[in-house]
Amino acid sequence: MRQQEQEPSSKKKKRKNQKRVRLVDFTCIEEPHPYGVLPGGNRFFGSSSSSPSSSSSSSSVSSTNNNTLSDNLWQQIISFCDGSTTGRLIQVNRYLYVIGHQPELWRDLVLRKCQSEKLTISNVGPSWKDTYVLLTTSTLNDDDHNNNNNNNNNKYKYIPHQPIRMTGIYSDDIYRSHLCRSFALPSVWLQQQQQQQTQTQTTTNNNNNNNKEVDTVDVDDMTSQQFFTQYEERNRPVVIKGAANGKASEKWKNWNYLMNNSAPLPGNFTLEAYHDYTQDTNYLEESPLYLFDRNAFTTNKEWENDFFPEFHRKCSYWDPSSNTNGKCGHDLLQHLGNDKRPDHTWLIVGPKRSGSVFHIDPNATHAWNACITGRKRWILYPPGQPPPGVFPSADMDEVALPLSVGEWIIQYWTEHIEQYRTRPVDQRPLECTTHPGDVVFVPHGWWHSVINLDDSNIAITHNYASPSNLGNVLRFFVDKQDQISGCRDRKESIKPEYIHDELVKVLKIKEPKHLEKALQQTGWTCRAWDEGDNKIKVKLSTRQQQDDENENEDNINKKRRTSAMNGERDDGKKQELTSVMSKTDTVSTFSFSFL
Amino acid sequence: MDEENGIVKLVSKEGDVHEVPINVAKMSSLILSTLDDDEEDDDDDEETKKHLEIPLPNVKNAVLTKVIEYCKHYTNDEAMTQIQTPLKSSKIEDLVQTWYAGFVDVEQTLLFELVTAANFMDIKPLLDLTCLAVSISIKGKTAPQLREIFNISNDFSQEEEAQVREESQWSQEDTPAVPAAAAAAAANEEEKEE
Repeated sequence: MRQQEQEPSSKKKKRKNQKRVRLVDFTCIEEPHPYGVLPGGNRFFGSSSSSPSSSSSSSSVSSTNNNTLSDNLWQQIISFCDGSTTGRLIQVNRYLYVIGHQPELWRDLVLRKCQSEKLTISNVGPSWKDTYVLLTTSTLNDDDHNNNNNNNNNKYKYIPHQPIRMTGIYSDDIYRSHLCRSFALPSVWLQQQQQQQTQTQTTTNNNNNNNKEVDTVDVDDMTSQQFFTQYEERNRPVVIKGAANGKASEKWKNWNYLMNNSAPLPGNFTLEAYHDYTQDTNYLEESPLYLFDRNAFTTNKEWENDFFPEFHRKCSYWDPSSNTNGKCGHDLLQHLGNDKRPDHTWLIVGPKRSGSVFHIDPNATHAWNACITGRKRWILYPPGQPPPGVFPSADMDEVALPLSVGEWIIQYWTEHIEQYRTRPVDQRPLECTTHPGDVVFVPHGWWHSVINLDDSNIAITHNYASPSNLGNVLRFFVDKQDQISGCRDRKESIKPEYIHDELVKVLKIKEPKHLEKALQQTGWTCRAWDEGDNKIKVKLSTRQQQDDENENEDNINKKRRTSAMNGERDDGKKQELTSVMSKTDTVSTFSFSFL
Repeated sequence: MDEENGIVKLVSKEGDVHEVPINVAKMSSLILSTLDDDEEDDDDDEETKKHLEIPLPNVKNAVLTKVIEYCKHYTNDEAMTQIQTPLKSSKIEDLVQTWYAGFVDVEQTLLFELVTAANFMDIKPLLDLTCLAVSISIKGKTAPQLREIFNISNDFSQEEEAQVREESQWSQEDTPAVPAAAAAAAANEEEKEE
């Protein structure tokens, strides 16, 4: 650690103990490509250095007329192939062996197979390909047994895949995918940051945006008053240390304890298989699968008890039943009824490097995210100008951005660290690492991206509306009706076209003062939606809502392709995984907060 | 300038000029961006615009003709249904309309050239269609057959090949450790069994 010098004058910025993280901190990976691929330039230094166009050791393949098919064309072709065709292509030559073994290909194949044949993954191999072969040999053997009743032998044997490192394969594209899967995690991300100042000093810190870290306060030092006035009402994020400590963090370390869950897992995993999957580092892939379960706490009272009572005691500002200082402080959406309101509480489990690319939480809600096990790195950008690499449409309905966290880092990290210098002070990003026991408050409208840092990461997250953002939530329910999420695919939930009116109705009774104030709001008070929105909505009457509905129909029909987010989509269809071979895609800006 | 009624001239590898309505040619993002760039550069030279030729040195006549045919049909007659993975079927007629299924029913050489051309000219639906056609055409083929189709030589070492083959038994291939000719014969046998 560098010795901190005494800065003579307060005019100079405070030196941070932590070194700034640069792109090279991610790309300095030690592990070579599992199949021996090297970046393109190495072609000129290879010992088998024939000219780049020689067919056998170059990265392209000659077809009958010497038309070379490039890496991305091969990838495109293979993406349409089924498992056994791919299994044969990899036997053709070394180049196809390498290109045909990309983990995302086999993951797609596994998930498609499970989806179409209604299979469950109970047996997980050290790689996606192994898992595919296990599935296939087992179904082939089952068929075989069914056809030959006397046959007890398994005709089809599973032989574990042993990656062979091929020499002479040079490809920037393929190597880059490897980087995106296996980027290094900078050590500063993994450390406990210096706990920041006491209560009194956090006041000044709020105005001092030379800080690159999110404010951190110990849970014992955070009063409701402080939380409301300094963070929630100012729409500033904060990490509250120790808020999530308790029974859950102890009990949930034991995977067996969690096993009794009936949550829908991605790719039809059994929980045990999913656990194996998260533990196994061989599954290096660009966007690891993660589980998020919106029913965990409704179906599982024990888990609810493990976490919430202690949490609400420590953080009364987040206790839905409390009424401190005359403010209810939390969760006005609860008055819609827990099953009628949009999805609100998730249990999230994911392996290392899983994460979410930049998004804004749905329905203009605030969120808190509690780390139970495993650490997470957060990158947050204030409402308004989007982060580098993120390109929302004018109405914020769609956004184009890299598909995976790895891809975003490789492509945009350098530009990201520039933002600390070039942006106006109030538009600068903030980062932090949450450790087990920490809870981070993500205010509404903030862009955020999260990366899981440990082998197994379990968290709980909750989205809510409080008096501080109620006006915007109501406005969102009217102006952005087609972007409302978390209620379309459940029977009992209130549908988007009614949510606004229902909320108004119930708050008239339960929280009339807050409602009145919110309804008086003209326009957005948050730049997340304000800048993109040309239309000025003043009244939030039901008639206005009708007009909006007609206008929004076009938006509803707009194509919304998704990124590597897993789980249920709002249009009621179970999401199909798109191949992660394409690097950027258009996604719906307002998604579930899943980390 | 009334662009939509205009014509653009595409020059093939051999130097022949193919005249194409602009609204059809714009299916190619390459051509689209070339036209946009030119629009910005040439402010007032109507003459230049009329003689606008875009060279496509990678694309032969026969291929370019096919590409233009695709774009004309797509723009004027019937847009192609989008191909989405996972594929609902392994038969191309189930995935796209009849005309398109027929469009890619060509010999392999031309098909590969169409893939490359679609990629170079950046015409996504055509690229999807041609890649799909290639993937369907190789379905069920054994490794030796695939080598023949793509004109690829087997550059595995003995050990590598043995290991890969052993791991791949599940893909229903039984490549014996013999030279290509005998392997092809064996593959033919196996195909009959399947």
